[in-house]
Order: sequence, then C-alpha cells, then structure tokens
Amino acid sequence: MLNILCCVKQVPDVNLVKIDPETGSLIRQGVPSILNPLDANALEAAVQTAEKYGGTVTCITMGPDMAAEALRECLAAGADRAVLLSDRAFANADTLATSYVIREAARQLGEFDLIFCGKESLDGATGQMGSQLAERFGASQISSMSLILEVDEEKKTVTAERELEKGVETARSTYPCLFTVEKTNYRPRIPGLKRWKASRTAEITKYSSKTIPGLDPEQIGDPGSPTKVPRTYPPVTGESGFIISEGSAQKDVEKLLGLLADVI
Amino acid sequence: MNKKDYRDMWVYIEHDGEKVQNVSLELCSEVRKLCDASGDALTAVIVNYIPACELEKILNAGVEKIINVTGTGYEYFNVDAYTNLFTVLCRKYKPSAVFVGGTIAGRDFAPRFACRLPTGCTSDATELVYDEKTGDIEFIEPAVGGKMMAVITVPVMRPQVGTIRPGTFKYQPTGSRGCAVIEERIDFNPADIRTEILSFKADEFDESLNIADADVIVCVGNGIKGADALPRYRRLAELLGGKVGCTRPVFDRGVLPFKLVIGQSGVVVKPKLYIAFGVSGAVNHVTGVTDSDRIVAVNKDPNAAIFNYCDYGIVGDMDEICEQMIAQLENR
Repeated sequence: MLNILCCVKQVPDVNLVKIDPETGSLIRQGVPSILNPLDANALEAAVQTAEKYGGTVTCITMGPDMAAEALRECLAAGADRAVLLSDRAFANADTLATSYVIREAARQLGEFDLIFCGKESLDGATGQMGSQLAERFGASQISSMSLILEVDEEKKTVTAERELEKGVETARSTYPCLFTVEKTNYRPRIPGLKRWKASRTAEITKYSSKTIPGLDPEQIGDPGSPTKVPRTYPPVTGESGFIISEGSAQKDVEKLLGLLADVI
Repeated sequence: MNKKDYRDMWVYIEHDGEKVQNVSLELCSEVRKLCDASGDALTAVIVNYIPACELEKILNAGVEKIINVTGTGYEYFNVDAYTNLFTVLCRKYKPSAVFVGGTIAGRDFAPRFACRLPTGCTSDATELVYDEKTGDIEFIEPAVGGKMMAVITVPVMRPQVGTIRPGTFKYQPTGSRGCAVIEERIDFNPADIRTEILSFKADEFDESLNIADADVIVCVGNGIKGADALPRYRRLAELLGGKVGCTRPVFDRGVLPFKLVIGQSGVVVKPKLYIAFGVSGAVNHVTGVTDSDRIVAVNKDPNAAIFNYCDYGIVGDMDEICEQMIAQLENR
C-alpha cells in the first residue's frame, strides 16, 4: 500500500485582485480564495496513482483556518485524509520555513513513499516548494512530471515522464520521491455529489506550533524565513501610446496600417 | 554569521559540453554590474569542461575567477550530485551570492542547496540592484500575477541565492579582465544518484512553435473567446509573415500550447512588430515583449495596462479589428 502525500495551498484568485491606485496596496476584500489550480493537477496525479497501485492520499496545507475549505475540495476530489497546519506563529513564512513546518508535521502522519506538489502557486509563484520539500524529506526529485509510467512496490522505485525544455525524458527514482506535476495528463476530476457532500463535514486534522513535537521556533514563520519583502510598489508603466480613434474599426485599421507601412 | 566574511558573486555556467546556455552568459553580464557596485569578484562555476570558444564568451563578460569542478557524479545533470556540489563549494568558499539560470535543471537544484545550507533563495527577479548601505542585493520581481512589484532581500543569511529566467537580461561582452582559475575536485558517489535517466525523446521541431526569432508576432491574450476564434489570428500572422503567440492565461485555459507563451514564464521575444489582441498588460507578460521595435495593442478596455506599453492602440473588439486588418491586407 502506497502512502502518498499531496501538498496544497489556498491562494487568492489573483486575477481578481485589484490594486488601490492611491496607496498601491492590494485590495483583497471580496477576492475569493481558491485551491491553487496547479495543486489540483498534483492531487489528480496522486489520486490516480493511489487508485491504480493501491494506497492512500493525505493532503496537507499550511494556512489560516479558512484554508480548510481548500482541503475539503481535495477530499471531494479523492483525498483520503486532510491535515491543516494553522498558527499565527507560521505567518510570513517563506519557502524555507514552510517546508520545515510541513516536514515536521508529516512525521506525525507516517512515512511517505511518494509526495506530489503543484509546479508553482498562483500568488507567490516561486516554484521552489517542490525542491525544498524534497530536501526536507530527503526525497529524490522528479520535477515537471507529466505521467507516471510505473510504480514498483518491490523495488521501491517509480518511473515517470518529464516535460523538459526540448523533449520528454523518462526517469526512474527511488522512494521516497517527490514530483512537481505538469497539467498535461492530470486534468482535475469533477467530484461526485456523494463525495462532495461527505467532504463538507469530514474531519480535518489540525496541528499548531504547540502540537507538532520538537518544532524549533527559530525555524518557523518570520524568524525562520531568510527572505524578506521590505517593500512593494505598483509596476512603473510608461505614458499611454497613441490611441487611434477615427470613428470606425475600418478607419482605425486604415490609419494603423498607414502608421506601420515601414514595417509591413 | 558575519556578512562581510562572504565575498564574490557566483554564476553557475550551465552547458552541455558543447555550448553554454545563453542564460548563463546573460547572468554573467548582469552580475558583472552588481560586482562593479559591490567590489566583489565575478566568479563563474563550471562543472567539467567547455570548448575554448565558449570559455572566451564567459571571459568577455568580465569574469575574474573561474572555479572549475571535476569529479564523479556529473556525467549527466542530476539533483543529488549538484546539490551536494554547491553545498560543499559554498561552505568552502563563502560566496556572497549565487546566481543560477532558471532552467528546469537550475530550478531543481538551486532551491535545494539553499535549503541544505540553509539560506534564502529567490526566483524570477527581473531587476537586480546592489544596496550599498546594507550590502544586500535587491531582487525585484513582479508579484501577484504582475499587479505589483516586490523587492526581495536576504538580509541576514549568505549566500544570497537567485534563479533568473532565460532572456531576462542581456549578454553584453565588455572585454576580458584577466581571470584566475581554481581547480576543484569534488567526487559524488554515482551510487548515491537516486534518479536515473532511461530515455530522452526530443520534441519534433515545429517551426510554428518557434517564436523567439519571429519578425512579427500576433499575440492573443485572455480576451480571446476560445480556440474557435484562433483561425483569424493565424491568418493575420500569415499575411504579416509572422507567428501567433499568447499570454499565460490562454495556455492555462488550454487554448494554445506552452511553447507559445510569451513573457517571464515563457518565451522572451524581440520582433520588429508585436500586435497584442485582448492582452491586459500584466508585467509578467510585458517583460517578455519590451524589446519589440513596435508594439500595437487592441483591447476593448480603454484602461487596460497594455496601452501604457504600446506605440499605437485601438480600443475595440479584438475579433472585429483582426478581421478588418485581414480584409485590408488581402485587398492590397
């Protein structure tokens, strides 16, 4: 039986985030939080692997209490167990601190053979969590994984395809192995009504900094994060270009093609 | 940790034995500027050997030191050996910063050795500034889908590790400065490499997907209704002797393949003419087109940010304007 971990994140739907033109700060009010889209692909890969080879999928996330909603979505889409790591002391964590907390919490949940992650998050988008989690778990690493070809439970190896810059590589790694998942072959399923209903009231295991044994306070949250964000500012844009406004699409295009006569 | 004990800025030279990746050369040129400001020595880390003509390119970017590593475990790229290599090297030589191209390989091992050291790792900066007061590098990058810029620093730990996307900076040979070479042997037991490569199948070369060198690009943004609307943009590209590209959300929706994504997470393009249809103008995308000679924007939203980057703009329905362009070009 495979013991599979899938690491997910709840993110604000950045496409709907607006910037306050006066202060340059984010307006997050009214912006829905969603399961990070690429994490849904990772979960699908994890669930399909568990279904094919036999095993259970545990989803884990770090975030505020409302991140439980993202976990319920995972339970509806096939995860067997959901774990929320929530504590104010975890706030402002960068990838180094986050990967540390997830690793330490996972010790409470058993030994994992395979770990699935999305390629990057919609909001932070560092794409670093996969590598750093692999390091924390002492796992081998198959990034940009597009298809699991074979899991050999006897030899404890997994064979998978990767989408690289110039082609497709087939690689084989030993357990524990961490994947970052491409969306190509793992389109998220639409949960059935029964599963969805069950997910609404399913139990979610919660850990705080106090209930994860041996957690080093210097390695979590802000103190455990070597990268800092001293400031943000709105992107500097130039002056508006020349807007062609001749009264009709036909005349606008005539004018445009005239202006471009030297290049086309 | 005393930051002053950490000196020199490193660039990892990614290569296949024959050719050095452009991103490594781009990084040498950009980090050269940081070193000029900070007084650090620009150092290239080369694993195994590269041909003399390629070495020449690196020296011409003003590299002052080369750490040439040989040993077992580097016959093909693997995360295990490279993570160990950079951990060992960083502990021995204490660099102030390590820059790695944001290729799939670079993004695999750089965050991992940063975690092992441990230190801070940033990704995808589009601007690098040396802060004299603090001695820190400011890694400036688009955040929240390009709606704002974030300044990231590693104020306490060293080295400062950063992966940078290909095409973000330019390779500008400024001439050789004389270079010291340090030979280093670090063996990694091949038996400890946990990932073996069984096969590699190169993508079939598809000219329509090769947009990096196109003279004209017709780019469709998230305003596109769907795949059904694509033929007219392909037709327009054909009439202009160009190619179709897209923004990241168009790929996310499954309308066009990733190889056509223009911007920070995709391809950086430098066409003579770039026409954006239904493109909002998020920084992540715009950073990939700013070197175009001429930029045209078509968007139904008069407040779309793309109008601030264009030479000429038309406020209107993207499909209608495209059809109109086709009609007039066909009538010539």
